[in-house]
Amino acid sequence: MTSLALSNLTIEYPTEHQNISVITDTSLTFVEPSFNLLIGPSGSGKSTFLKALAGLYPEYGSNVTGTILLDDQPITTYSIQQRTKKIGMLFQNPSEQFAMTTPLHEIIFTLENLSLTASEIDERAQYALAFVGISHLAHRQLKTLSGGEAQKVALAVVLAMQSDIILLDEPFASVDPLARLDLLTKLKELVKRGHTIIISDHDLAGYQNLAPNLFAIEAHQVKKITPAPALFKPFNTLQANFTLPPANAEIVLNAPSLQITTGQTKLLATENFNLLKNKMTLLTGPNGVGKSTLFGALTKLHPYTGSIFYLDQNIKKIKTPQYARQVALIFQQAEMQFLKMTLKEELELSLKYANYPELWSETKLTEVLAFLNMAEMQDHIIYQLSGGQKKKLQILIMLIIGTPVLLLDEPLAGLDLASVDRIMSLIKQMTRKQNQTVLMISHQLTGIPDYFDYHLVFNHQSITYEEVL
Amino acid sequence: MNASVKLGIVLLLSLEISFTKSISLNCLLVISSLIYLLGKKINLKNFIYTACIPLLPAFGSWSSIYFYGTGDNHHMAWVMFSRIFAYVWLGATLTLTTHIDEILKALEQNVKLPNTFVYGMLAAFNFIPKIGQEIKTIKIAAQMRGVTLHFWSPQIFFKAILTSLRWSNNLAQAMTSHGFSEGAPRTYYQVMPIPTWNMGVALCIILIVQLYLMYPLWP
Repeated sequence: MTSLALSNLTIEYPTEHQNISVITDTSLTFVEPSFNLLIGPSGSGKSTFLKALAGLYPEYGSNVTGTILLDDQPITTYSIQQRTKKIGMLFQNPSEQFAMTTPLHEIIFTLENLSLTASEIDERAQYALAFVGISHLAHRQLKTLSGGEAQKVALAVVLAMQSDIILLDEPFASVDPLARLDLLTKLKELVKRGHTIIISDHDLAGYQNLAPNLFAIEAHQVKKITPAPALFKPFNTLQANFTLPPANAEIVLNAPSLQITTGQTKLLATENFNLLKNKMTLLTGPNGVGKSTLFGALTKLHPYTGSIFYLDQNIKKIKTPQYARQVALIFQQAEMQFLKMTLKEELELSLKYANYPELWSETKLTEVLAFLNMAEMQDHIIYQLSGGQKKKLQILIMLIIGTPVLLLDEPLAGLDLASVDRIMSLIKQMTRKQNQTVLMISHQLTGIPDYFDYHLVFNHQSITYEEVL
Repeated sequence: MNASVKLGIVLLLSLEISFTKSISLNCLLVISSLIYLLGKKINLKNFIYTACIPLLPAFGSWSSIYFYGTGDNHHMAWVMFSRIFAYVWLGATLTLTTHIDEILKALEQNVKLPNTFVYGMLAAFNFIPKIGQEIKTIKIAAQMRGVTLHFWSPQIFFKAILTSLRWSNNLAQAMTSHGFSEGAPRTYYQVMPIPTWNMGVALCIILIVQLYLMYPLWP
């Protein structure tokens, strides 16, 4: 077991003109072993705090003052190898934490770094993969894994390192509810075996029974708070009923026969995929089933067999630039959508190509920015915004464009509940005014079903409308 | 055969034929490489590819020396022609039979190539397949915002550079968090020793080439 304590920790983000404080003067001790949950609004510095604990600063960005004590010794006195044996980390973005091509190679690479012998490596790799339940993925290409599967691999790597303390930075942002519950049970099991877990999350579903120690970032300080049942309540009632679409509904996108494969795996073989015009539809399904790949096919980014029709016209016959102005996608990765440097420039660019510019007057925009807590950020460099802020800006600039169909791939990942509610009401309000059709993939389901008209489920290689969540 | 030894032989022979003018040696090297690759059951597509790649540069150097060279230019033209084929086929004996992972890891263990270089290269190779898709996505993402990016648009380079900066930073962070540190000692899961017979074969090949150069059957 390893103890972790902070004294007078201050983390600052250096910018051109001044240093911006993210965390100031925080002193804390984490009980060992324990299950700790860190909450705080988007942009409050949860990722930064965890990265500091993992010892990644100042090498990867921010400046740290004060001390982080690992087994009563400052973390800076440890070599990277010694440190990773004690403290391991899972990042927000599952696809960006691997250097090798397969899960097994990644584990081997990691354990070679820790100077283990081949037989120790075999033993630990088998144990870690089996514990997380992904032995069957050992030789798969990492790039073909879904977000949830990749997070399981990342967890297996940390387990193989036998790090006593495991930090997880919103690890479930793109993980489906079932896989999430499964992973949480695994984490609880690890606490029983003597690990200390520190996890940051917006979505509190499933945590209450695990009785975590709760920490919150308030006014730039990390404080221990008492877990009030009211805090978890909005996340515990996840039931919703939808109606099934009427038979004669107007259809905007349909695929009478569509097959999508990735690598060797067949993802989808459907006879009747229809998307209803001017409605908001929620798309759910387990991890790795191919939801993002379906969006790829619908936007001509991923190859498919069969045909897809947009308003009765085969999309292969529509020129890509034209089609992109009809069916737009809000990518999982927010930065993909940015073309300029500052928030203001991005908004101006979108306004230039807006389909309904009259709806986006200057006063309206100011109002929307204030509503999203981004009023003061007009001149900020977009690449320096927090994950949640980037997400909000990305959704806003795509809403301004106002394409007839808008596909959203996990737009709520990394947003706190208040932001989710605001962004959903903005989407609902503006897409209705702009006569848009919305299809959204989301694993974060708390507080959103009421915004949707219909519910599509993607599972077992087919897509069907269903009444229950 | 150990990848480092193979690379050593290929490099030495290539260096040697850069300074010799024997057409027959070049041809013999091409034929030997061909037989070796046939034995390794390389697929036909790669075979044809390797046969065609040298055509243009070989013809280019042949014609410039043949028509515009001085001195023994006809002989030299054919030397150059066969030399380029020899380079490519010698290289193919390594690259078509050995995966880049294996080459880099063998070099790390056998010639003590710095690990930062080895894993940097490996990661770069792993990224290659992602680049094409990334460019396509950048283009379509921009079109969805009404902006058409052409391959000469500065913005596409800007986005590509940003992407690669992000990749490289994330990769470095991922490697660090998985215990990698520059120059630190690490163990090898798959040890790649150089068996004695490898050195023997290498020595034989080099010797045979020297002997052939002393007593050539043909110029």
